[in-house]
Amino acid sequence: MASLYRGRDRVQLYIGMLPGLLLYVLFGVVPSVATAVISVTNYSGIPGLPVNFIGLQNYVQAFVLDSTGIVGAIRDTLVFAVSVTVVQNVAALGMAHLFTRRYPGRAVFRSLVFMPAALGVTVIGLTWALILNPSGGPAASLLALWGGSSAFLGSNRFALPLVIFVQIWASLGFTTIVYLAGMNTVPGELYEAAKIDGASSWVIFRRITFPMIAPSTTVNVLLAAVGSLNTYDLIYVLTDGLYHTNTLGMYMFNTAFEGSSNLGLAATINMVEFAITLAVALTLQKVLRKREEVL
Amino acid sequence: MKKRAVAASVSTLLALSTGLAVASPAGAATKQVINLITWVNPPAVTVLKKINAEFEKANPGYTVNYQTTADVSGGYATMQQTAVQGGTADIMGTFPFQPLPFNMSQNNLTPTQLWAVHNVFAPLNGQPWVKNFNPSVLSGDMYKGKLYGLVTGVYQQGVFYNKAIFAKYHLVPPKTYNGLIHTAQVLAAHHVTPFFDGLQNVGPLYLMFITNPLMQDIWMPKVGNVNTALWTNKTKWTDPAFIKVMVRERAIMKYLEPNFTGVPWQAMPGAFANGKAAMLLDGSWDLASVAQANPHMKMGYFPLPGSNNPKLNQSLLQPDLTFVVLNNSPHKAAALKWLDFFASPKIYAQYVDATGISPSRVGGAYSSAASRALGPWFGKGVMLDRIFPQLPGSGSYYVQPKNWWQLQLEMYQGKYTPQKVASMYQSAWQQVVK
Repeated sequence: MASLYRGRDRVQLYIGMLPGLLLYVLFGVVPSVATAVISVTNYSGIPGLPVNFIGLQNYVQAFVLDSTGIVGAIRDTLVFAVSVTVVQNVAALGMAHLFTRRYPGRAVFRSLVFMPAALGVTVIGLTWALILNPSGGPAASLLALWGGSSAFLGSNRFALPLVIFVQIWASLGFTTIVYLAGMNTVPGELYEAAKIDGASSWVIFRRITFPMIAPSTTVNVLLAAVGSLNTYDLIYVLTDGLYHTNTLGMYMFNTAFEGSSNLGLAATINMVEFAITLAVALTLQKVLRKREEVL
Repeated sequence: MKKRAVAASVSTLLALSTGLAVASPAGAATKQVINLITWVNPPAVTVLKKINAEFEKANPGYTVNYQTTADVSGGYATMQQTAVQGGTADIMGTFPFQPLPFNMSQNNLTPTQLWAVHNVFAPLNGQPWVKNFNPSVLSGDMYKGKLYGLVTGVYQQGVFYNKAIFAKYHLVPPKTYNGLIHTAQVLAAHHVTPFFDGLQNVGPLYLMFITNPLMQDIWMPKVGNVNTALWTNKTKWTDPAFIKVMVRERAIMKYLEPNFTGVPWQAMPGAFANGKAAMLLDGSWDLASVAQANPHMKMGYFPLPGSNNPKLNQSLLQPDLTFVVLNNSPHKAAALKWLDFFASPKIYAQYVDATGISPSRVGGAYSSAASRALGPWFGKGVMLDRIFPQLPGSGSYYVQPKNWWQLQLEMYQGKYTPQKVASMYQSAWQQVVK
């Protein structure tokens, strides 16, 4: 296909792209490359201290000498990411489907579902920490009505499911809106024809709606998967990575800032996180794009 | 046309910048800003703000820009890292960095220790206030003969008890471990929560109020300085004395409030002040908050008795907030001036009385709620650095601070036996000391 832009137009095009490209290189590419480089050094962040190349020593430390931390972090990350991606998308699909119908109060429900998307992570985290305070919090009072009690965010058993729940609660609105936008683009004639053929609501959803919103699914699944694989901020506010919520992001943060100044080792953990995210993103993209091509 | 537009834009920008320069007050250029950072300990923050205001009043040419983060972990660690790398603070709050590990490496030094040994902090030797402070307390911030921090004092760890509840059930402060368990049993039998401790946000670290005194009372009499003994292989984590510590720790933890792992540490003073438990396992830094939450409450103190020999059961002292001046500080002279002001008798007394800290300054009269509650114990006891070793920041997983305490919790929850935990610590520790 011949290019639409030639000569002066093409130059202007590149000049127009330049500021954005420079910003991307400066704040996207340079830090990423720097992280890869730091992961093979003993960088400590101390001004004036020499930075030495130590080869794969940090990787050996993480995977061979003391693999307990990284193995646990990979396990927690995968449980978190898979749960968030699957449950968030299924719930958002259901919500979006409900919002396509007309009933009183629909706008209010929509606003309520979308509201958490407008809140900051810290606000969300602190709000849920208060709700889930076992000493007088509303969740504890509610549970006490049935004679139960829990440490909630301090429980080895419930902390991770609760963090997953809060993450989904926070992101559900955005995911729902994307699905809703997709559903609104499905031609009405398809539904009318299906109804004439006597198709049930479930068959209509499975055979028409879901395949037709494939681009929305791609966007939502990719965003949820990549986002949850890199999450640390919400976990930091809710549990600080304790009680089996030590995801790779959290483990990296703690290694870099809390326990030590071993920024080289922290960068290594970040590289592992990057490799997993890249592999998952590429695989998902390939699978989901195939669904789109059918359209 | 285009040239005119460009010329007009340049002229406007020039005019604006000139205007801004003219609009800046002449005095602002001469005003020195001192950037001070600490974590939040509510009484300390309140009194430091007051002290800053007094400093500004006494020194009109200076402004103190005081910034804090919610707690001492995560957020503050990031703030410190930024200050060290970017020079965004002149005075930084830390904990004393001693004792240093015997074989120092990047993996087993905490960030503060790493900064201390690499000259990130400015030496404070010769400052006028130094001679007035207790050298043994200041030694917590000394390395190779250089003093790097003003240690504001020591807090007491132990058991704070509600005198009214104790009187109601005819209880007296126990002096032995068996006495402590008996006290807890009596309270539990009357449906009173014996102990209150909050582990959320700080994590299992706050189990230290149980573990540390037990280590002091059981392990230290056997091996002396536990920290040194561990580093020199004179003792091991698998020592029967430490296993006894964990067995007793587990027994005491049974009497904590329900779901204590999910209770935020910030809730501890308020809960104790409102009678939710008879005893608070805590440091004396929270006593000012307890007194504020319930000014009428009468509280007492006793060291958590770890052994059945009262003579061995000592109070524990933990050095706390320490001010260091950063070497890359652009306002070093101003920062030193602030430290001198802080260390002056009247100002320092305000800090001690508001926070309840046991003073590191020699002499002076103090009247904090903590000094009344602690009575004869105020400022007396064994320094924590003789009992608990500085754990490595990275490297051996189970002896990293967070993971060490997490294992203690899992031992209590029944996932591991004390013997298993001890062997996990020891195999991780071998990597550290080799």
